[in-house]
Parts: sequence; C-alpha cells; structure tokens
Amino acid sequence: MIKKDLELLVSLQDIDLMIEEVGDVEKLGFSVTGYTELKKAREELSASISKPLLFRYERLRGKLKRAIVPVKNDICLGCFLRQPTSIGVKGREDEQIFTCENCGRMLYWLD
Amino acid sequence: MHRSELAKYFKDNLFVASLQAAKKEVAIAELLDTFVREKYIRNRDIVLEMLHQRETLGSTGIGKGVAIPHGRTTAAADVLIAFGKSDQGIDFDAIDGKPVHLFFMVIAPPNEEGNVYLPILGSLVTILNEKANRDKLMKVETFQDFIAIITGE
Repeated sequence: MIKKDLELLVSLQDIDLMIEEVGDVEKLGFSVTGYTELKKAREELSASISKPLLFRYERLRGKLKRAIVPVKNDICLGCFLRQPTSIGVKGREDEQIFTCENCGRMLYWLD
Repeated sequence: MHRSELAKYFKDNLFVASLQAAKKEVAIAELLDTFVREKYIRNRDIVLEMLHQRETLGSTGIGKGVAIPHGRTTAAADVLIAFGKSDQGIDFDAIDGKPVHLFFMVIAPPNEEGNVYLPILGSLVTILNEKANRDKLMKVETFQDFIAIITGE
C-alpha cells in the first residue's frame, strides 16, 4: 500500500514538473494544446492519494519546490546530504516513506 | 548550449540506429527500454506514464520527421538522451501530420546541476530545424558518426 502511495506521489510530482515548465517548452516550439487534459489528469491522480499524504506533499512542495527527490548512492538529490545506510536498506524496499533528515523532503531510492 | 556540450548527454548504449517499432506507443516504449536496460531509471512504469502524460499535453512530434519525447521524472538521477531512427517512419501525431523518422528521448531528474534540461531541448530543436542535419541523421549508422553530426564536425 505504501509502495503504491510512493509511486503515486512520484507520478504526481512528474505531472507537476511538467505543468511548471509548460510555458518554457511552448516557447521552444512544442505543442501544449492539451494543458486542460493534463490538469484533469493531475486532479484524478491526486484524488487517488490519501489526504494526509497529499497534504504533506503539497506542504513540502509549497515550502521546498520539490516534495520528493531521488536518492542515488545514498545521497539525497534535493540537498546532497548522505543518508544513513540503515534507512537506505529499508528505503529501497519502498515499504515506508522516509524523509531526508537535513532538508525534510520525501525520499525515493533509485539504486 | 554549445553543440559539443550537448554531445556529452548522449551514450553509445542509448543509440538505436534502427528502431523496430511501427506505432507511437511502441516507439516510446522501445526508446525508454534503452534507459531501463542500462539501469539509468528505476521504475519503467512511472517513466512510461510520465511520457504518456507528456503526449497528452501535446505531441512531441515537432514536424519535419522529428520527435523529441521528453520530461522530468523523480525516477531518474541524471539528464540523458536516447536517439532512435526509423527508416520506415512512424505515425507520431506530429504537428505536420508527417511520419517521424528521428527520435530524441530526453529524460531529466526533478532538478539538475546547471539547469541544463531546457537548454538541451532548445539546442536539439535548433539543430533539427536545419534540413542538412536531418538529412545526415537519416543516414547515420554508427554512434561515432552520430556524435560528429551533433557536434557539427
């Protein structure tokens, strides 16, 4: 269940990143005619995430811009602080949502 | 972004001289799988979903036989570009309705050192707007020749 939530959060942030840069990619000449459809997809996805987790995501996004960040080689790619090895083992299993002790962002292990 | 700088984001193992796909969805998956095979991304399904959402926003087929599927994802750590060529061409819902032969898939993390993602997209658009470059890319067979075209050497 948590694993599912984590994946949903990652997908939600991926859409938010896309929405954030719509104007930039349009300036480069890309078609962005489906903006309304993308916003609708965002609404549908966010509705499938538990309210407390969504609240946490939105709060972190408002405060830190990126609410969830990748972790590679035990380094949080939000603030570049090394994460304790002990949480890395559990983090890779996606069974709990861990946050970076330094920046407070939620962590998503890549390796 | 200078063309020699852009060339650094391509990898031999993300170069596909002859795509097998005949349909848009399959082409996206085939290019994405080059990243998956090399373990550049962790979760294929999440990135595939992101790329589909990007096509919902608007086709990344920019016309003249070129598509640049792209997006940021939390499931990637580095900016990387895969190249694929289809001799027969693929219907990609491109803005000019023409089949796409040249594919550049750009995957980027949520934030990256130097903020290179948008400059990379801009450089690709500039290079691919030139017919001479597109014509050369249509004939490319090796990664070495491909990089020479990208750098303009």
